[in-house]
Amino acid sequence: MFLQVVFILSALLTVVSAVMVVFTRHIMYAAVYLLGSLIGVAGLYLTLGADTLAATQLLVYVGGILIIMIFAIMLTGGQDFMKNSRKSFLQVPFMGNVKTYVFGGLAALVMGSIGTKLIMNVADRFSEHSEMLSYQSTIEVIGEALVTDHVLVFEISSVLLLGALIGAATIARPIKKQ
Amino acid sequence: MMNLAAYLFISLVLFLCGIIVIIARKNIVAILIGMELILNAAALNFVAYSRYVTHHIDGHIFPLFIIVVAAAEAAVGLAIVIRFFQIKETIHIDDATQLQS
Repeated sequence: MFLQVVFILSALLTVVSAVMVVFTRHIMYAAVYLLGSLIGVAGLYLTLGADTLAATQLLVYVGGILIIMIFAIMLTGGQDFMKNSRKSFLQVPFMGNVKTYVFGGLAALVMGSIGTKLIMNVADRFSEHSEMLSYQSTIEVIGEALVTDHVLVFEISSVLLLGALIGAATIARPIKKQ
Repeated sequence: MMNLAAYLFISLVLFLCGIIVIIARKNIVAILIGMELILNAAALNFVAYSRYVTHHIDGHIFPLFIIVVAAAEAAVGLAIVIRFFQIKETIHIDDATQLQS
């Protein structure tokens, strides 16, 4: 019961925030709605029994990436804040004519029905044995797998992070006055 | 209610929102936000399949590396955005027509 409440709240938070990211006008509001969507995904991880991933999601995404994004928005916003946001999704005029929309709607209908059929097929096949991997701490298993089976990817990701750090600091350095 | 299809549907909505943001927004930072949405959708799929289908912990390893790569991508991408703003005084994507300043 508690699990289902957490699931419903997280799913609603994720979906509504993701839709609001699309339809909001202001880029700063989009970043704040992205925060809601990321927290919702962390809650979904919790309902899936992935506690380590939920903690990592909160730490890295919400605590790191989102802060960088808000910094970038504030550093690049300035005076033409509204000028950039005015050319967003809502202000793009519609293209095409009636024929285009009829064919596009038919194609979307066919694609939607095919997608629904596929998802329902998957759901039917895997819904019977849905109680496995009981809720327990996964940090030990993940830590062991990281340094045994996946140690090469682990080391490569450390090199990637170092390269990204140096590259970001090099790219964003202030322009030298000549 | 909590089955694989529900998670796949949420992931689909996240992915579609990311695609729409990337296509429709003209702000470079907004495009990076859309990329984060798409990466989250992929990671959510990994965890859902590892719980309901494969029952193996490897589905939890891959989202960790997705988060690592997303952090690196966000750092470098936003550094490029700030540099671009220093040069061109705008972050409209249609103004990014040259590779070298």
